[in-house]
Amino acid sequence: MASRSMNNYRRWPIHTTLIIVCTLMLIPFYWVIKTSLTGENLFSYPPAILPQNPNPYYFVDAWYFVPFVRFFANSVIVAGLAITANLILNALAGYALTRHFAGKRLVVLVLLSSMMIPFHATIIPAYLITRELGLLNTHLGLALPAFSHVVLIFVFKASFDAVPNSLIEAARLDGLSEWRIIYKIMLPLAKPAVATNIILSFIWSWNDFLWPLMIIRDVDMQTLPLGLSTFQSYFEDTTGSLYAFSVMVLAPGLLVFLLAQKEFIRGLTSGASKG
Amino acid sequence: MATTTPEEAIAGALRRPRKPLIAKRRHRQVVLTYLFLIPAATVFILYRLIPLGWNFVLSFQFWSPTAPAEFAGLYHYEEMFLFDDVFRDALKNTLIYMLTAPIGIIMALGLAMLVNSQIRSRGLYRTLIFLSYPLMTVGVGIIWRWLYDEKVGLFNFILRSLGLIDEPIAFLESFSTALASVMAAAIWQILGFFMIILLTGLQNIPEHLYEAASIDGANRWRQFYRITLPLLRPSIFLCLIIGIIASFTSFDLIFVMTNGGPGHATELLITYIYRSAFQLSQFDYAGALTVVMFVFFITIAILANFVAGGDAGKVDIN
Repeated sequence: MASRSMNNYRRWPIHTTLIIVCTLMLIPFYWVIKTSLTGENLFSYPPAILPQNPNPYYFVDAWYFVPFVRFFANSVIVAGLAITANLILNALAGYALTRHFAGKRLVVLVLLSSMMIPFHATIIPAYLITRELGLLNTHLGLALPAFSHVVLIFVFKASFDAVPNSLIEAARLDGLSEWRIIYKIMLPLAKPAVATNIILSFIWSWNDFLWPLMIIRDVDMQTLPLGLSTFQSYFEDTTGSLYAFSVMVLAPGLLVFLLAQKEFIRGLTSGASKG
Repeated sequence: MATTTPEEAIAGALRRPRKPLIAKRRHRQVVLTYLFLIPAATVFILYRLIPLGWNFVLSFQFWSPTAPAEFAGLYHYEEMFLFDDVFRDALKNTLIYMLTAPIGIIMALGLAMLVNSQIRSRGLYRTLIFLSYPLMTVGVGIIWRWLYDEKVGLFNFILRSLGLIDEPIAFLESFSTALASVMAAAIWQILGFFMIILLTGLQNIPEHLYEAASIDGANRWRQFYRITLPLLRPSIFLCLIIGIIASFTSFDLIFVMTNGGPGHATELLITYIYRSAFQLSQFDYAGALTVVMFVFFITIAILANFVAGGDAGKVDIN
């Protein structure tokens, strides 16, 4: 491409454009962090661009005001359930799909078509079913609909397809059961698929809002996004604490993303293009 | 068989031809294959297929959690299409909201080409632009509400400082700006995701195509229209489908930023469904709304597929 031969002189417009775009994209981050440290409220006009007298008071306030640890623990438990279930269910289903069997076309068709049913188009019966199962207001009820994602099954399938058949046959001749073949041979060879499953099922569960909003009634059972929205609807004008709490809620997810950025992006691009 | 001695059993096993043993093992594997599929299939049947059918049934019934079901015929659909103004608003708003997909994709395409060029620290640029995507949408809503604030929000402050407006704009409280304001926040969040998908698409275009084109004297614009865009079609289609799904499911942002208001100016189908079911307890009517939303969604997805050339969703079954 022509860009290869570009000299430094021709690159600076690209840098300038990108720096402007990045600044614009980062302004909301800056603004919420600034407000969380200064607690500027609805009566402070004009707003200060740089933080005046930054202090951790609003974080302390939010910490004592909201059962943050409880919300955090709920989110972690639900995400943990979802991740574990996705790993097991998707690996098994993905392995099954690498085989030939009668009715495979039908199974794939059902899986693909259920991918075209957004969860949002099922919420009312999903709520009623969860109620019938007696799982309203429980961690299991929160995680159950997200126990398996079709996209992630296909991520495993694609990864397992790449394992040479001779290896599996050899393992079988050595007397390994199908379970052990998955556990001892397939999964260690499909580490990227495992990472994709963990990261994506984590982030989808962690950020989920509508489902907890529908099935959780007790404050004690709220997850972080639900706790944040409840806080906002009750105390709209306690500005500093609201944004301090927002920062506390947003930080863990962002941290996970930054630590596992490569896996996250590879997961999204591979997961998405499988769809 | 109970009288068989161990010796006879062993002798019998030795006499048995080898083939059935293998067949038995094959049979066992087939059974296991189905067993492996059952747990995941249960989740999808329980939380995707049954709900879809149930919605359909519900939409033809009078039903509430406390009353037994009665056949309602087309009552809910008549109500919806003939008399319900809120439904019409929600439908219209959902259509407008879908514009976030093409607008976001065009912006992301420009960014993807910029961060695909051979420049220093492009990895950092990519990360920074992508950073808003993994954020919790509830948090995004709260942040943007604050930015839009009428009295002390950053946007009003900037516009007033630049002398562009005299009176502050109530972005989220006025009928003319509320929907567009929420859409801007939605684009901000999904832009980085579109960029990454399109960037992957760009990186899969073989370099030699551009080399051949420039030898043939094609300028940059011609290369873009004749090589980049056609080869990027699958990635663009993917972004479009994900963007459309995101528009239909954009509940969190609306709920936190405007809760459908002012009036019903930012009411989407999904927020109206939630409101009907869980605030007005009209589960049957909400079921009918969901059926309409789903049909609407599938129609648009098929149309998008048609525009993209017809085989964009193709998956290799084996």
